[in-house]
Parts: sequence; C-alpha cells; structure tokens
Amino acid sequence: MSKIVSSLIAFAAFITVAAWSGRSVAQTQFGDADAQPAPFNPQMAALMSMLIQPRHAKLALAGHAENWPLASYALKELRQGFVVAARAVPRWKGLPVPDLFDAAVDQPLKLIEAAVKLQYKRQFDEAFGRLTEGCNACHATTDHAFVVIKVPSASAFPNQDFETKR
Amino acid sequence: MKFAMRLTATAAAMVLACGLSAAWAGGAGFGDDDDDSDEAGPSYFGFVRDSSGATVPNAKVTVSLKNRISIVTRTDALGTYKVPGFGRETDPKDIEVSCDKEGYKQLRVVRRSSPSTDPKIPVETECTLQRI
Repeated sequence: MSKIVSSLIAFAAFITVAAWSGRSVAQTQFGDADAQPAPFNPQMAALMSMLIQPRHAKLALAGHAENWPLASYALKELRQGFVVAARAVPRWKGLPVPDLFDAAVDQPLKLIEAAVKLQYKRQFDEAFGRLTEGCNACHATTDHAFVVIKVPSASAFPNQDFETKR
Repeated sequence: MKFAMRLTATAAAMVLACGLSAAWAGGAGFGDDDDDSDEAGPSYFGFVRDSSGATVPNAKVTVSLKNRISIVTRTDALGTYKVPGFGRETDPKDIEVSCDKEGYKQLRVVRRSSPSTDPKIPVETECTLQRI
C-alpha cells in the first residue's frame, strides 16, 4: 500500500515539475512567443501615459516658446488623444469618461485654441493653467488625486526643439 | 487507496491551476487598472449643471431613499457628486436626487438610462440649476 502511495506521490510530483518546466520553455511571465498576437487593449492609465501626458507637456513647451504652429499641432493631438481614450474606455470604474473629459477640459481647450490663433501668450498661459486644473479635478473625481499634473518646468524631450524657426 | 486517489486529484488540480494562471497572465490587456469596486448595489453619480450646461462646483446634492434616509454631499471641482450604494436590496427607483445652491433654484432632475446592466455602473442623475 505504502509503495503505491509513494509511487503516486512521485508521479504527481513529476507531472507538476514537467508542467512547470514546459511552461518555462514555451511561456514566460510575459507571455508565449508562439501565441497569436493579441489585440492591443491599453487601459486608462496606459492611455493617459501614452496619449495625454506627453501631449499636455508638448503643448505647454510649444506655447512657452510661442511656437504657435507647433502649439496648434500639439493642441490638435491632445484633443484627439482625449477622443481616442474616451472611445477606447467609455466607462472607467463605471464613470462616463466622455462626460468627465468634457467637464474637465472642453472649456480650457477652447480657450487655448483661441489663444493660439491670436498668438496671445498671456491668455495661453492662463488657459493652460485651467487645463491643468481640469486634469487634476478629474483625477480627484476618479479617486486619483495623488496623480498631480503641473505645468512643465522643463522639457522631457531632449530630441525635439520647441523654439520657433525663423 | 482513497488517500492515494486524493493525492493524485490534488496533483492534477495543481497542474490545472498552474496552467490556468499562466493563461490568465497572458491576457490581452495592457496596463490593466486596479478595480476595487464593491458590489453593494449601484452607487449614485451625476453632474450638477446650470441652465447653460456649465458644471456647478460646490452645489449641495441630496440623495434620498424614500421616507427613510438621506445622504447630503457636495459637488466637487468638476461639478460631480458620488454617493455609495444603499445596498443590493434597494430599488434605484426609490432613490430621489435633488440639488441646491445659494443663488440658484432647481430646474430639473433627469435620470440617465444606461443600456448596460453592469452593477459597477452607477445610477446617473443630472441635476440642473437656474440662477434666481
């Protein structure tokens, strides 16, 4: 009887080890190299890091340099980033993302657009401050007040020149 | 013998569990956000706006369960309010929302109907104020 039990324990251990060793060859913690490519499905945190935060910074840097063509482009990109994020994640933790974005950034984005068209830096700075406040208000509404956005004090893009080329 | 069978079953379960967790880890999501929502009935959420459609921060919002209890809160900087669920057994139809702010009167309260039955989606009610 004890031999049978020992054999079964050994067999079970072998199966377990074999399964694990097989997994380590075919699949790592990052996935399986032989798997079919999965649809790319970034969630809100990744979308914010990819589409919103860098564009917010680039818009600020362009406006600070009074590079209005670049600011206009960065503004369009930022607005499109919000559209893409809201379409990809229309509800986050149950909350209506398009409505939150609208409440947080619609008015400041319109003010920035006007400032860029007028090439009026003071209005740009004020509107950009309101945009940043909107970001933080939205983070607070979604229980992420610890993610604090600010007007950038330096460029995070050493490979891009934000100054106007005359 | 029964003990031996149980051991084999346990081993098989371990192998299966390892396989399933590996499959789970290989999901298609990227940067999945944390989800700490509870399921104590739907929560209540909404905007308070003025008659022009602009959101109204710091408005008083009262969410009441008919003839029983009321929760009073205020809208945040974005003009939204959130109130946790009253429990699974509470019918959202029995919940009334009203809003108030000095210098305003309540114009209308509109409940937004969602096609989803996901319990994580709050009951949304928009309250509109008009300047007096």
